[in-house]
Amino acid sequence: MNTLRLLGVFLRIGLLGETQYRANFVIQLFETGLSMATALGAVWVVFSQTETLGGWRSAELTALIGVYFIVLGAINVVVAPSLQKFMEGIVNGNFDYTLTKPADAQLLASLSEVRIWRLADVGLGFAALGIAIVRQSAEVGWGDAAKFSLALFTGGVVVYSFWIMLATLAFWFIRVENILQIFWAMYTAARWPVGIYPGWLKWTLTVIVPVAFAVTVPAEAVSGRVSNGTLLGAAVLAVLLAAFSRWFWKTGIKRYAGASS
Amino acid sequence: MPRAITLENLAKSYVVPVREAGVRAGVVSLFKRKTRKVEAVKEVSLSLEAGEIVGFLGPNGAGKTTTLKMLSGLLHPSAGSVTVLGHEPWRRENEFLRQITLVMGQRNQLIWDIPVLDSFDRNRVIYRLSRAEYRERVDDLTDLLELGHLLNKPVRNLSLGERMKCEVAAALLHHPRILFLDEPTLGLDVSMQRRLRSFIARYNKNTGASVLLTSHYMADVEALCPRVVVIHHGEILFDGKLAELIKRFSAQKTLVLEVDEDSGDLSRFGEVVSSEGGRVTLRVPKRDTAEVTARILRELTVHDLNVADPPIEEIIDQVFSGRMS
Amino acid sequence: MRSWLQVYPAFLRTALLSSIQYRASGAIWMIGSILEPLIYLTVWSTVARSQGGEVGGYTAQEFAAYYAILLLVNHLTFTWIMHEFQYRIQYGSLSFALLRPVHPIHADIAENIAFKAVQLVVILPGLILLCVAFRPHFEPVGWSLALFVPVLFFGFLLRFLIEWTLALGAFWTTRVTAMNQIYFSLLMFLSGRVAPISLLPLWVSDIAQNLPFYYAIGFPVELALGRLSPEAAMRGVLIQLVWLAVSGVGISLIWRRATKRFTAVGS
Repeated sequence: MNTLRLLGVFLRIGLLGETQYRANFVIQLFETGLSMATALGAVWVVFSQTETLGGWRSAELTALIGVYFIVLGAINVVVAPSLQKFMEGIVNGNFDYTLTKPADAQLLASLSEVRIWRLADVGLGFAALGIAIVRQSAEVGWGDAAKFSLALFTGGVVVYSFWIMLATLAFWFIRVENILQIFWAMYTAARWPVGIYPGWLKWTLTVIVPVAFAVTVPAEAVSGRVSNGTLLGAAVLAVLLAAFSRWFWKTGIKRYAGASS
Repeated sequence: MPRAITLENLAKSYVVPVREAGVRAGVVSLFKRKTRKVEAVKEVSLSLEAGEIVGFLGPNGAGKTTTLKMLSGLLHPSAGSVTVLGHEPWRRENEFLRQITLVMGQRNQLIWDIPVLDSFDRNRVIYRLSRAEYRERVDDLTDLLELGHLLNKPVRNLSLGERMKCEVAAALLHHPRILFLDEPTLGLDVSMQRRLRSFIARYNKNTGASVLLTSHYMADVEALCPRVVVIHHGEILFDGKLAELIKRFSAQKTLVLEVDEDSGDLSRFGEVVSSEGGRVTLRVPKRDTAEVTARILRELTVHDLNVADPPIEEIIDQVFSGRMS
Repeated sequence: MRSWLQVYPAFLRTALLSSIQYRASGAIWMIGSILEPLIYLTVWSTVARSQGGEVGGYTAQEFAAYYAILLLVNHLTFTWIMHEFQYRIQYGSLSFALLRPVHPIHADIAENIAFKAVQLVVILPGLILLCVAFRPHFEPVGWSLALFVPVLFFGFLLRFLIEWTLALGAFWTTRVTAMNQIYFSLLMFLSGRVAPISLLPLWVSDIAQNLPFYYAIGFPVELALGRLSPEAAMRGVLIQLVWLAVSGVGISLIWRRATKRFTAVGS
């Protein structure tokens, strides 16, 4: 189907850009490595004073941080830079080019920019995850791995849909240049298990800015503590958000074109 | 044969926020938003046949870009109807989008730091061109626009003129039937402007594609457009041949005289635009031209006399500033 | 010489107007500032509760007081100049600043103050939210609270000077984000944001008490809470002033070299 071909050509083009790959990759490893060390350091300080945090043990928290960086890296490879460019395109008028092309505007806007060196974050995340699994007392079987993959996938759909919704706001709030920052600001809370937060914050992080499904749920899957109910809930939320975000986007386009209805 | 483009009573208005300077007004604006309605296009009706080249002329804010955007499907009209190649542009059907193209002056669709050819390839996929078609078009456009050595360079390494040539090529890969060009020569040097104009004219002749061009450069319109539409304050002031425009709106003639230096003050004959040595340029109302010329020839020793229309820019200026109806 | 004092009203006014323009964007940046102390407060309260109500000399309510004040202190002392400097050099606005007969740092200080003033509209509700949700326990000590005010001001200056100096790194490399990350990581631990430094392992908190980071954030907070003895407070003020002097000297040295490099190399 043409969508796949589009995806292919965009990825290829993204790989061609940025000629200083190796340098970028190394710098990214350093920065993210330091950021992860800070996160792990905080965990270390906490666990110097206690054995468990809200029922989570040190290794499980390490796994959580691993997932945190996997998702962070994945978002930053394509989704974040492309939607950022899309929002700039609304301000400087380049979005007009996207709209006059005979291909789905959401697809074009979501794939326009690739930062391949952010895969360094994903790699570091998996490294932390691996260390956590080794240190963790519970065995990780194929069932857990499957649940983890499912949780990660539905989490991905949920996060992407949320980003589309945020980006669509640009059609109304043209001058709020850092709308996408809303996600990153709330995302920092995902470094700790969402369960420890007071009710209203937990709810916000699950429903309003859905970082819980992106990070906590997959991490729970790794330590074997995720229920099938939660996974089902994640899948349902993914479908609902995908549908809603698509509708919202189309409404945004109508607004951009000044359609009154 | 059905008309390629039809606009009927097309209108477009916006609501824009309004604010004054100063800290007090700034704080007030936090709580209360004042707005104002802007009628970008009041009522525009016109139609185009396939293969026509039409220039939309007008000062900034006249409504020409807004009209162009309604024709290309970027804007939804507030009132009236628009039909392009049998489609309503604002529906943005893929069938329609495959037949049009948009080029905006000083705005790039090419990707910044990869070779031009790779950006072309992206368009190949988006427009679903076969590899054979694509090869042929690329070769063709490379010839016509002299792109040879540019194709493998990243866009950021090209000069503004080279970039514009590549942008135009990228926009034409899919052989569109209608070209929407919004200020395409903006910022280019004179020789590049000329090359671009002659390319567009040739493209139109070779392919029969219709061209809609907006510009505030008279030279673009003079060189390219047999038909000119003058838009001001969201309305069409004139739609027809450029020569007609001059005849209709120019109420003055320019007299260039070569007289003896001691001929004295010539302001009794008309408005003196310049006077250097013996070369004097006078502005005279059109209807008085014959009479004034006769008087000058009677009263002065004239070595040379030339009667011409004022430069077109001036005519347009006067049209826009409302000094004529 | 006094010219820089005279320009502040004008700088503040234009900065205020700009800040009002970008109020929505600014508010979004503030979400992170409010959330961070909230997160660590939750973490440490959870730990305290699981350890019988108290950990490291803090009860859950005392953590709430600590982080509530930290929210305010961090807001009043933070800067964003390190993220902007490279942009300025690249896009030429630095050249304009260098042509003015006033040191560029003053415009930045004015902008910083104006932005914070406008964003208090967001910060104060955040603070109230935190207090309502966590019920901080606060026992102010008179002299300590009075000392808090000048110490906070010096802390603001100290942090501003350090971060402005750090921003100058942009003159020597385009990879400033890596440098900034080092600073942020150190700041997080050694200033008392991750945890009150008394909860850190002894050797770490010893280091922290000799470095400037603590004196920009943690030290003012602990003074406001009245948790320091008069001797510790005095010692702290001294170290803070020493670091302030060091930063002052440091910034003028580095600035001179930076401008020399800029005018020699160009942008």
